[in-house]
Amino acid sequence: MRSMAIAPKPTDAPPRAAAPAVTPGTAGPWRRLFARRWAVTLRAFAVFALLWYAAHLWNDNPLQLPSPGKVVSALWELLRGGEILEHAWVSTLRMLLALFLAIAVAVPLGFAMGLSRTLESYLDPMVEMLRPISGIAWLPLALFIFGVGDALPVFIMLYVAFFPVLFNTVAGVRQVDPKLVAAAHTMGVGRRALLTHVLIPSALPTVMVGVRLAFAASWAAIVAAELIGSPSGLGFAIEWYRQLLMTPKVFAFILVIGVVGFLCDAGLRALQRRLTPWADGMELA
Amino acid sequence: MSAIPAAPDRWQGVSRALLLPAALIVIWQLWALSLPAGSPAPAPLKVVATFFELIVNGGLAMATVQSLGRVLLGFVCAALLGIALGVLMGSSRIVRENLDPIVESFRPIAPMAILPIAILWFGTGTPTALAIVAYAAFFPVLVNTVHGVSRVDRKLVLAARTMGVPTLTILTRVVLPGALPSILLGTRLAMGVAWTAIIAAELAVGAKSGGGGSGGIGQMMFVFYAYNIDLNAIVVCMIVVGVVALMIDRLVRAAEHRLLPWRN
Repeated sequence: MRSMAIAPKPTDAPPRAAAPAVTPGTAGPWRRLFARRWAVTLRAFAVFALLWYAAHLWNDNPLQLPSPGKVVSALWELLRGGEILEHAWVSTLRMLLALFLAIAVAVPLGFAMGLSRTLESYLDPMVEMLRPISGIAWLPLALFIFGVGDALPVFIMLYVAFFPVLFNTVAGVRQVDPKLVAAAHTMGVGRRALLTHVLIPSALPTVMVGVRLAFAASWAAIVAAELIGSPSGLGFAIEWYRQLLMTPKVFAFILVIGVVGFLCDAGLRALQRRLTPWADGMELA
Repeated sequence: MSAIPAAPDRWQGVSRALLLPAALIVIWQLWALSLPAGSPAPAPLKVVATFFELIVNGGLAMATVQSLGRVLLGFVCAALLGIALGVLMGSSRIVRENLDPIVESFRPIAPMAILPIAILWFGTGTPTALAIVAYAAFFPVLVNTVHGVSRVDRKLVLAARTMGVPTLTILTRVVLPGALPSILLGTRLAMGVAWTAIIAAELAVGAKSGGGGSGGIGQMMFVFYAYNIDLNAIVVCMIVVGVVALMIDRLVRAAEHRLLPWRN
């Protein structure tokens, strides 16, 4: 259980942070370095688009692999028609709702489990029994319970987001320096003040890591949930256009899923920095 | 905890562990009994009965084996590609800088989002499921391999080079063992993701191709949902999915212990 909370750290920490530092010869200003990275990124995308175009020529079946230009124009069309905004908005709202509910349930529970071994010994086995059952596996049963609609994707994402938040909260509470707690006790700090001034600030960075992991997991699950059991949202749109064999639009929506996922993660990272500026050493990625 | 004698402590732990699940199952069964007869709602006793039924007719084992086979095959493809590319990206800054933008922009795209394209490319059979599994498993392996390789002690590599060790030997004797903990962690994460992805893929292929014969435990679930409606069987499948996930995790952890004796 603890290893679950700790394990994803290396996954989320690609050596990106180290990359720009390894330029001993060209000790130019930061701006030049950034310009260089942008150039490399642009070139990488250009090469990728070229390879894609070549594959499109070789494949010669626009139903299977449309050219990059077609996808871009489909994207533009969907953007102007407002369809992308509509579906992305629906999906994002569902995601935020599920994430909010998961945090509202899992963080207090995690604090309770982290502080009380007794409570943990009662609850932990249950959690460990449920955890291996992936959110996706709940889909057929949840379809029966909730039917096709808004509740199904929210339930699946809530379930998926719950575990990372819970585990990281428990781990965060456990990692609180005992010396800090002892010092607070010595100074006669009450239980409430101990919670708000010592425990929460120390655990928050780990909790935020859990929230980011939960977001990544639930954003992956939303596509599956909407694809099967929802009349709206990005997952639904992808499947809809596949059935209509409008492949460029399928690609466009997949692109949107990637972009929205990236933007939300960037937003969470910014939030992480704002909420826990003291957690410099724990900053991932 | 350590001062207390082991035996009573363990009994207490077991009884505490079982209390909540047992209570929930009893409530569930009582609730199911209160429903009118013929209700499709699942009940614990019916789930057990269905489990034995599915074991006896062999369908469950067949479906599980089929799904597991796909996971393994897809995972092997992903691991070969991911480790090879990861070693390249981890050891060469130029390769990494050029590929990083592409990899990072694919990473937030969920495997299930690729499914419609996979269906267009490969139809509704095994290749689609394999492609989804391989895509899902690829990123954890790749990212962790890059991380592990780039963390290998430079001094070891330089020492080996000074002693005139050929590049290939450095790779197999210095870089790979050094990166192994990270690679194995990636493997464990990838296997977990792959198992989730295969269920999703089989389920969705079943759902979106008129129950087309994708096979596997995911499709079995879909059949029980859409054709011969049997919620008890769905619960059986869910439990099997959970147990297999747990077993995969334990197996890879055991492999980690065996392969990394110096870490214990």
